[in-house]
Amino acid sequence: MSRSRFIRAAALTAAVITAVAGCSGGSSGDSTEATTVNWWTWSPDQAIAYQQCVPAFEKANPNIKVKITNYNVSDYFTKLTSGFVSGDAPDAFMNSVTFLQSYAGQGQLLPLDDYIAKDKLDLGQYAIGAEGWKYKDGKQYALPMDWATGALYYNKDLLAKAGYTDKDVASLNWTYDGGGTLWKMVKHLTVDAAGKRGDQPGFNANTVKSYGLGNIESTGDPFGQNAWGWLLPNDGVNIPDKQQWATVFNYNDPKVVKSVQLVRTLANDGFTPKLNQFTTANSQQLGSGKVAMAVGGTWEAATYAGLKNTKIGTAPLPAGADGKRALMTNANGNNMWAGSKHPDQTWKWVKYQESEECQTTAAKYNASLFPSIAASMKALSDQQTAKGVDFSVFNNYLTSGELVPCPIYNNGAALTNAMIPQFEAYFTNKADESIFPKLQEQSRTLLAEEK
Amino acid sequence: MATLAAGTASRRRNNTGPAHRGDWRLAAVLILPATVGFIVFGAVPVFRGIYLSFTRFRILTPPRWTGLDNYRRLLSDDVFWKSLGVTVEYVVLSVVLGLAVSLATAVIMHRLTRSTVVRGIVLLPFLVSGVVAALVWQWMLDPGLGIVNIVVKALTGHNVLFLGSQGWVIPTLSLIGVWKSMGYNAILIFAGLQTIAPQIYEAGRIDGASEPRMFRYLTLPLLRPIMAMVVVLTVIGSFQVFDLVAVTTKGGPANASNVLPLYIYSKGFTEFDFGYAVTMSMALFVLLLTITFVQLRLLRANESDTN
Repeated sequence: MSRSRFIRAAALTAAVITAVAGCSGGSSGDSTEATTVNWWTWSPDQAIAYQQCVPAFEKANPNIKVKITNYNVSDYFTKLTSGFVSGDAPDAFMNSVTFLQSYAGQGQLLPLDDYIAKDKLDLGQYAIGAEGWKYKDGKQYALPMDWATGALYYNKDLLAKAGYTDKDVASLNWTYDGGGTLWKMVKHLTVDAAGKRGDQPGFNANTVKSYGLGNIESTGDPFGQNAWGWLLPNDGVNIPDKQQWATVFNYNDPKVVKSVQLVRTLANDGFTPKLNQFTTANSQQLGSGKVAMAVGGTWEAATYAGLKNTKIGTAPLPAGADGKRALMTNANGNNMWAGSKHPDQTWKWVKYQESEECQTTAAKYNASLFPSIAASMKALSDQQTAKGVDFSVFNNYLTSGELVPCPIYNNGAALTNAMIPQFEAYFTNKADESIFPKLQEQSRTLLAEEK
Repeated sequence: MATLAAGTASRRRNNTGPAHRGDWRLAAVLILPATVGFIVFGAVPVFRGIYLSFTRFRILTPPRWTGLDNYRRLLSDDVFWKSLGVTVEYVVLSVVLGLAVSLATAVIMHRLTRSTVVRGIVLLPFLVSGVVAALVWQWMLDPGLGIVNIVVKALTGHNVLFLGSQGWVIPTLSLIGVWKSMGYNAILIFAGLQTIAPQIYEAGRIDGASEPRMFRYLTLPLLRPIMAMVVVLTVIGSFQVFDLVAVTTKGGPANASNVLPLYIYSKGFTEFDFGYAVTMSMALFVLLLTITFVQLRLLRANESDTN
């Protein structure tokens, strides 16, 4: 008796568990009701900034609700991929050009050409970045969201003490043959415990109190973008053989080898901290006087300006031997997911997000992005200048024609994962120049891999 | 299904006594959840994994059969072999150090105190989540700001890049791993020590054996089954180390801490190369299977030894 009751109870429990586990995502495709457009970003600052655009958009489109979600960048792309597979990826999302090939090549992104043609959207309004989001099939897969490159941030007091003016920093150059005036300045700015400067006799590299430059050996992508890789193109040293869909990365080019050697020697000789010596951000090292200058991203301008007790100057990246620059510029894109259930509503939001109105609102909110639209960039720059932050460098970047788009290539994640450890080995003196021919061959194989 | 079950039941009824009549129903209901769980989460993934290891699978597009390509690639993948070497180094250090420390702790506890408070304190690191432990240690070992490095610098005049240099990173990680699992293992060994009858030591004392001699010839042999179990658990646990490395070094510097589970993860989830990632998982699976089999054989030998 009791046994059969137990069986019934157990069966019932099992049934309930099955029902709960099988709960389904309710359908919400009804066009008369409000639809929700999901949008993702990995930048917490930009999530708040774009949130400022939502009220105006929802007022103009009462049937559309926008939900912005932020995931940490280290989980972002994994989360996105699992969303593609399970069918609940966001309707639109911020993407890095590194993943254009793997997502577009596998049919996960919606081409925007029809929408752009229908709404007669002028891609010319974006000063930079639109071209980079064109895939091999000739279709446009994203609207550019922003632009970003490097700048030289410096501690004004430390430079004044060493006898340098703002103008000296702004007119620096860097050459693959010897490092140019930047290298000279970095050495002079380095001070050891006894007060000797790096270019004076008796300088002790083992007791450095203040380094001339923050470490530039980190390698976030296959060619050191966000660190050493920012210097090379200015002097005409390019690692990919082509701007788009490169077939080989020329690591063994003598100019590249010389450049990378220069960077390693600078650290070995004690003029920059060693790789991993400091775990704090460059901005904090600059703020505490541990380094006199740092190569940083334009997106960090507000962070550097906000440092307390330290006067920070901003200079353009050093020019090449010919006095010209080639500033490698990365533009994130606003992609639409091919599996979205509400592509029309999503397009409305994406188009609004990349309009002058929203770009201005978002950029001015916390200066976490530099808009591709010139008028919005000017609005941001005016606002920051009024606050006392020097934005002239960034304005000049946009008007000087020195910005060049980041290379686009196949198999970005695999190349990054393969190259970073090998450069780390080189920069920490565990490997020598003999690895470069091998890296070059490896890049050829990985770049050729079609998915 | 129902008719089939009823048929089986009627045939069975003839063979079983009234007391056990209907037992199969209860048994089936009780076994069902575990069986379903095993099939859905165990058997199916393993067989699908074996299939996927012979394909090029980019997760967003259907897998494409490539035969033995992935296995050939595995044999010539330098990063895989380096990763395996790093993992073995981590396992050996963790097992040897872990065992020594846990044994010493257990014996000291056994001899000096029976206090549950002390036992609780020893167990404490085990209760901390892996990610939290990794973060806290990362802060303490920080080359500039960490308390450990402040002490090291005061003593030697130099900072040590515990997690940032190729030579230090694996020993450091295995020490953190030992710190975390030591309490749990010590409690297991402690329980083993309590099962040894005090009369045995009494007999030893009467025979005039010294403490170290009794430890060597009485305690250790009698503890061997427990020790073998601790070794098996530590080996398997160490081979699967992931959270500690993912939080602190992400495999760096220069792949010096790129342990196998982390390499598999990054191939699969950052490069979408799931076919190859599954192939490496298969290699790890076979490796662990072999090691565990060998260890279980040793375990059995130990049991007969002590009796």
